[in-house]
Amino acid sequence: MSNATLLISLTILPFAGSLVAAFLPANARNIEAWLSGLIALSALILTTACYWSVTAGGVMRYEAQWLPTLGLNFILRMDGFAWLFAMLVTGIGLLVVLYARYYMSPQDPVPRFFSFFLAFMGAMLGVVLAGNLIQLVFFWELTGLFSFLLIGYWHHRAGARDGARMALTVTATGGLCLLAGMLILGHVVGSYDLDEVLAAGELIRSHALYLPALILILLGALTKSAQFPFHFWLPQAMVAPTPVSAYLHSATLVKAGVFLLARLWPALAGTDAWLWIVGMSGLVTFVLGAYLAIFQQDLKGLLAYSTISHLGLITLLLGLNTPLAAVAGIFHIINHATFKASLFMGAGIIDHETGTRDIRRLSGLYRFMPITATLAMVAAAAMAGVPLLNGFLSKEMFFAETIAAHDGSLVDQTLPLVATLAGMFSVAYSLRFIHETFFGPPAVALPRVPHEPPRWMRFPVELLVVACLVVGIIPELTVGPVLETAAYAVLGPALPQYNLAVWHGFTLPLLMSVAALLGGALIYRLLREHLLGGVEGPPLWRHLKSQHIFERVLVTVSWRWAGALKNLLGTRHLQVQLRLLVGTALIAALWSLYGRELAVDHTASPALDPAFALLWTVGATCAVGAACLAKYHRLAALILVGGAGLVTSITFVWLSAPDLALTQLLVEIVTTVLILLGLRWLPKRIEGIDSGARLRIRARRLGDLALALVAGSGLSLLAYAVMSRPAPSSISRFFLEHAYTEGGGTNVVNVILVDFRGFDTLGEITVLGIVALAVYALLRRFRPASDSIDIPEQQRLQNARDAAPPLRPPGTTLTDYLAIPAVIMQLMFPFIGVLAMFLLIRGHNLPGGGFIAGITMTVGLLLLYIAGGIRWVEARLHVRPVRWIAMGLLLAAGTGVGAWLFSYPFLTSYAAHAELPVIGRAPLASALLFDLGVFVLVVGAMALILLALAHQSIRSHRTPSAKATVTPPSAGET
Amino acid sequence: MTFEMPDFLLALPEIWVLSMACLVLVVDLFARGRESALAFHLVQFTLLAAAWLSIETQWGVTATTFSGTYVADKFACLLKVAICLLTFLVFAYSRDYLRKRDLLSGDFFLLGLLGVLGMMIMASAHSLLTVYLGLELVELCLFAMVAYDRENRVGSEAAMKYFVLAALSSGMLLYGMSMVYGAAQSLDLAQIAAIAANGESGLLLAFGLTFILVGVAFKFGAVPFHMWIPDVYQGALTPVTVYVGTAPKIAAVALFVRLLVDGLGALHDQWQVMATIIAVGSLAVGNLFALVQTNIKRMLGYSTIAHVGFLFLGFIAGTEEGYSAALFYAITYGLMAAGAFGVVILLSRRGFEADLIEDMKGLNDRHSGFAVVMLILMFSLTGVPGTVGFYAKWLVLKAVIDVNMVWLAVVAVIFAVIGAFYYLRVVRMVYFDRRSDGEPLEASTGLRIVLAGNGLAVLVLGIFPDSLIMACKVALAG
Repeated sequence: MSNATLLISLTILPFAGSLVAAFLPANARNIEAWLSGLIALSALILTTACYWSVTAGGVMRYEAQWLPTLGLNFILRMDGFAWLFAMLVTGIGLLVVLYARYYMSPQDPVPRFFSFFLAFMGAMLGVVLAGNLIQLVFFWELTGLFSFLLIGYWHHRAGARDGARMALTVTATGGLCLLAGMLILGHVVGSYDLDEVLAAGELIRSHALYLPALILILLGALTKSAQFPFHFWLPQAMVAPTPVSAYLHSATLVKAGVFLLARLWPALAGTDAWLWIVGMSGLVTFVLGAYLAIFQQDLKGLLAYSTISHLGLITLLLGLNTPLAAVAGIFHIINHATFKASLFMGAGIIDHETGTRDIRRLSGLYRFMPITATLAMVAAAAMAGVPLLNGFLSKEMFFAETIAAHDGSLVDQTLPLVATLAGMFSVAYSLRFIHETFFGPPAVALPRVPHEPPRWMRFPVELLVVACLVVGIIPELTVGPVLETAAYAVLGPALPQYNLAVWHGFTLPLLMSVAALLGGALIYRLLREHLLGGVEGPPLWRHLKSQHIFERVLVTVSWRWAGALKNLLGTRHLQVQLRLLVGTALIAALWSLYGRELAVDHTASPALDPAFALLWTVGATCAVGAACLAKYHRLAALILVGGAGLVTSITFVWLSAPDLALTQLLVEIVTTVLILLGLRWLPKRIEGIDSGARLRIRARRLGDLALALVAGSGLSLLAYAVMSRPAPSSISRFFLEHAYTEGGGTNVVNVILVDFRGFDTLGEITVLGIVALAVYALLRRFRPASDSIDIPEQQRLQNARDAAPPLRPPGTTLTDYLAIPAVIMQLMFPFIGVLAMFLLIRGHNLPGGGFIAGITMTVGLLLLYIAGGIRWVEARLHVRPVRWIAMGLLLAAGTGVGAWLFSYPFLTSYAAHAELPVIGRAPLASALLFDLGVFVLVVGAMALILLALAHQSIRSHRTPSAKATVTPPSAGET
Repeated sequence: MTFEMPDFLLALPEIWVLSMACLVLVVDLFARGRESALAFHLVQFTLLAAAWLSIETQWGVTATTFSGTYVADKFACLLKVAICLLTFLVFAYSRDYLRKRDLLSGDFFLLGLLGVLGMMIMASAHSLLTVYLGLELVELCLFAMVAYDRENRVGSEAAMKYFVLAALSSGMLLYGMSMVYGAAQSLDLAQIAAIAANGESGLLLAFGLTFILVGVAFKFGAVPFHMWIPDVYQGALTPVTVYVGTAPKIAAVALFVRLLVDGLGALHDQWQVMATIIAVGSLAVGNLFALVQTNIKRMLGYSTIAHVGFLFLGFIAGTEEGYSAALFYAITYGLMAAGAFGVVILLSRRGFEADLIEDMKGLNDRHSGFAVVMLILMFSLTGVPGTVGFYAKWLVLKAVIDVNMVWLAVVAVIFAVIGAFYYLRVVRMVYFDRRSDGEPLEASTGLRIVLAGNGLAVLVLGIFPDSLIMACKVALAG
């Protein structure tokens, strides 16, 4: 098989297996186990097959295009170090599968277990084989995810959920930091390719971004490896099924952190920052973990803290910045994986066969399971560093490293002492593990009667223990070449001299080992009584549970503080939001002004006329008054708005724009009436508003006023500045020049509307028609609120008075309130109609036009309705606004289509003049017909809206509540 | 003055959508009563066809029409395709939900379709006028959609607030535009760019820029103009929330790129500082406030704000890579957000909105497949490698690091880490908390398929993101 095939199949195999495992039936325990076993075995064989390619610094690479836009390829890369890890992952994986087959109970959903397990194995292999940084982080996060699912496998247990959650929170957060660090690293090197990164050590260490990158990467690695101060999640993760613990915490998950440290050792190590951060973290973890392990009452808890401690040892070795220490670290990775896996499995067997893991309850198990007991004893001895076992070798290398002086500082000098102390602790807890469990009087009242486990469940433990022994006795022949291959990959050709022999003579490290063994035994002897009766955890420290601190900090920061911040700054009130919006805009505007000058061309504006100023003062007052009253008294506000509109209209007259002024005036009238009719259905005034007596409210209102003033004047100033600039060349000149020659009219505005921009106007009137129809459709089903359905107060009072005359004889009560205006309007209406026609016809040359005429007509109609009353008008005048709208639209469109008859484009107009009696010379452009359409449509549309609104008042009287009160015939009906 | 016949064919996608909207309007009038099935299918067909038409007529073309107010280029094309497809997805989610609540009518889809038209116009805008027209069309549709369920007081209140604030911000945008017009004496973006580049009339442009930025930031929902987002997200019907949260974000990118890059790109130095403040503010407020939410829609609202902060990083970089990164972010975010809300829709039933984070409890027991979908989505929103959200974050971070704003990247990462907490909280609910009534889901098969497809899309894009990244890059390269 070629390198590429080897690497690809190694990566894909576990994931494929995971997929298959997920879909097997829930009771297929044996098939699952066989499948997983075969996958792990094949992976192991594949890895072994790679060995000859990676010895002596060989590197296998497979590269495939992945993200060419980012210059990122999918790279699988295996060197000696990666090979070592791949061996551990697949080899121990295989053993754990075998073990799990017997460990898992038939009730457990096995497919899920093996599926997650294989996926985790794949992720782990992905981390190990990753050839670029991003890929590494990707698989790194995958290991976090699958370990989360594995730890939480028994998710019906609260402990499992909490443990899994904490593991995920800590490692995923670390993973994100790692990601950031990797991105910086990639940025520094200019490539994410691992080979290039490893070769660029000098560049990285001297770069300004070295420290941030280092810290971020270390955050990732140290959280994963449960190093101080992030060590607290690992013991919580012991709620996982034991095979999971055996796998995750011996060879894989937690080793990923130290794997990363060693992987990036050539690129990042060698600085003081590395020494202090990595070394100190490792040292503290090493000692602390060992100390805490002594006081655990749970077998797996003890192993968990021991794992933390041993990882600390590895971290410390990698942090010491010397090649020899790094070799020792790598060596210890192998040793720890073997003895810790076997110990976890041993603890699992005990748990499985006795039903408890509590050290205080277990005792004298040697009688019941002598083989298991022997195996566990050997493994524990390896953990304690007893000679002739593998743990002894790496520990002695470590002791030798602590003695070799580095810089002579205080820390450096105390290091051997601290190391020996930690060694004593580890001897103590190993001793405790063995002694309490297997010796002493036979345990009583165990949940199950203990006996030896099934043959094949014990087999993995046997195999691993044999490995411990063999490596411990003949290291040179067994692990020697492997270690050299792995160390070569990390340290390069400049491999330091080291001696794997068991016996080095009477040296200081040996003395330290002996001291550790004796001291450990002594510590255990002294503490034994205390421990047996004691509760979980060491004295004093017991109360300082880091996981509680973690939870509390998390809750405080992520819930309380964030909540307080939200209460402080967040709001759901519109007013506050508006204030913020306007305020921010103001600040932003001021900011862009900062340091510059707003150039206003004063010369462009003429001198201010006092009358005009007065006019605008009135207008502004009206506007401000309307704004103030809008909340309290709508009618008054509306009247004031009308005032402001009037001023606008007069302003147009002042500025010589009669067309605009006329339009503005008429639109103003119509809209005011429209709003008035709408107001009928709203409460007249809002009661119960705080009048501003309280200081806070008053202050807030003043603040709003100030904000409004500043923002408003700022806007005005800006608008003024813009308007005082020279106007851009516009198309107005064109219209002025061609209005008469081409459009046949002197009223340029009108010519634009009906001729040059006739198409736009057609669109606009169509929209107007649609709007009218929409309003009508909406109001047709309008049901007013019940409180506004009654007759208005004034009317009701008057009606009551009229209905019950105290002194007046019947028949003298006044009923026609608006008789005189009604008569006047009856007279006026034809004149208004004529005026509208006049405005329409002259529109082409003088102020006027279809739109204005239409509104004029509407106003006439409106007045008729107001003065005469709906029923009176409609009894005499059949207004059919919908037909008017249709007619208007047809007229306008027809005019446009008419042009086609003369083979001109749509809406081409023809201009001519005719001498009419009385009126005189009048334009007779085809545009007039178009304007007529506009007129008809505007009348129809406005009338439709007004009538729809007006009819509401009739409808309300038909409601039962209105009928209850006495309703005299409405005005004008008699 | 001569009349020039514009090249209508260039704007074929928009014309198609408009014609179909009219058709649907009429069809829906006569085919009501059968749950507006015909209208729904027509609208969906319209969206797919519009996406196809955009690719057919506009990819690889760079031309303007309608007197230079409309441009067809790769950027516009990509945006339109993304907008149409995302909306397609959103509508697919919506139908079931609306039917169960007796709210199903063609109006909803029609409003959505018109909104899409507005977004497409924004994408193709080449003049301030077109930008504004498109924007207003979208907003009008959005107001109506937020207030769609008239019986719902919270929704009506949200719509009202949204309307007031949006009107104000539109006013500011318009104000800024008028100032830019005053300075450049043209509405054409190319001419504005020319004026901005030669450096004259600086102050007026600066003011215009400021107000435009305010308006654009509001449309994005960036801090301090974010107030409407949580209210609208929470108050509106969930399908409307999905709609608001997906395609309009892409349209907002169009708004930004058209106005501030195509138009005022030369003033990048000036808006960079403001954009930085906006970005950092959004990251902070979005992530911190999201932590304490109990309503998942509101939480996702705040998370949107945080994502907008991330997206802004791409703009801040001011490079072609940065802009394309922002575009990529918007598109992928739309996909993720649609999925997340899709899960909310999946869990809801009549009378039960499933809009509390607690309602996610025990999803794994109820249906492990959708638990995985939610897991992928939440991981992707967090930015975990291997999901598409990771590349989105990576690209924008890379863009700012490349312009030597490392501190900004660090700040962003810190907030991303904080953000991880509330996403993981959802994951925890899904997997580890139990609920008393582990009743099975009652969503229809169609909805399930769509949701699964959405999750799959996020996953696949997470593994093979290259083509989309490439497309975004090419789109910005012109």
